[in-house]
Amino acid sequence: MQTPNETIIIGIGEHHTGSEVMTSIGLGSCVGLIIYDKEKGIGSFAHVMLPKSQGKPGERAGKFADTAVDRLLEELQRAGSKRSSLIAKLAGGASMFQHFSGNLNIGERNVAAIKELLAEQKIPILKEDVGGTVGRTVTLYPAQKGKLVIKQADGVTREL
Amino acid sequence: MNTENLTYEQSDSFRELGNIGAAHAATTLSTILSTSVGIEIPDITFVNLANLHEHLDTGVVAHVIFQIQGDVQTGGYVILHIPKESAVRLTNLMVGAGDPGPDRELTEMDYSAIDEVGNIMISAFLDACAELLGLILLPSPPTSIFDIPHAVMESILVTLPGIEDIDEVVLFKTNLSCSDHHIASNIMLLPSRETLNMLLERLDKLVSG
Repeated sequence: MQTPNETIIIGIGEHHTGSEVMTSIGLGSCVGLIIYDKEKGIGSFAHVMLPKSQGKPGERAGKFADTAVDRLLEELQRAGSKRSSLIAKLAGGASMFQHFSGNLNIGERNVAAIKELLAEQKIPILKEDVGGTVGRTVTLYPAQKGKLVIKQADGVTREL
Repeated sequence: MNTENLTYEQSDSFRELGNIGAAHAATTLSTILSTSVGIEIPDITFVNLANLHEHLDTGVVAHVIFQIQGDVQTGGYVILHIPKESAVRLTNLMVGAGDPGPDRELTEMDYSAIDEVGNIMISAFLDACAELLGLILLPSPPTSIFDIPHAVMESILVTLPGIEDIDEVVLFKTNLSCSDHHIASNIMLLPSRETLNMLLERLDKLVSG
């Protein structure tokens, strides 16, 4: 679990806004939602687990697609971001197994929910790496023009 | 069920349950490999979902996953974890490939061998638990995946009923190791809330009865 101090790990249901390097280790059916401000060089990262919140008190904003999109936009706005300079990137939403009952195709449903919400907010999705059957470790470098590095378990690495 | 409410006695009887299950699983592995297999005292941890990554390996691990069926409707899961190098050593021994070293890539033969080992070990684990508790607990057919544990675990967690409201899960983990051949593995029990409650009820009865 060695990561440099300046790297912020975003666990399930967590989110962060800032210029620090942010990473989610091993995204499966969860989706890494990134909203990036091209002008200010800051980013927002949420580790989304489910498509829709229940609206209950004490819920983690980052856990659900709807509350995560709202919260990231709110934090970016508070940091001084203009809507027009925001873009989004998505990674994750894999289907790692088909046999088990309960929450079928949750990865796909997470991605669909996020896309719909971003479209409503008119935030363009610049790049995405979603679906498939393998896990991804995703790292965002806000200071490097919002570069997103994706690493799979089989060693394949991509840059978005 | 608020998992923080698990009493000392309950944790203790859970540990004993895990111990009995793991001992049976270890015996089957020991028979397959014709060598001794040791088990550690089961570990019970309450894990906040946000910190799940702190409790799992970051390397590639073979997972053999079973959904618990039988007397429980939404049973949860039992998962056998074998780190990649151990998995290769294990299948080298099983298929009699000698020892070409742990660095080779995995083949279809390895996948089915791991599936089979998992099937035998987990059936023994669940049988032993079920017999002790007087329940019927059956493993589903296995699914095996080689990937990063966090990615697999979160994909499993999301299928648990009521996950919308759950921010903390309880992990029951027992390490098994075969020191002669440097093979490490662990068995993790991830009960649904319904199963956890049922297990606790049965354990309480056993202890007080």
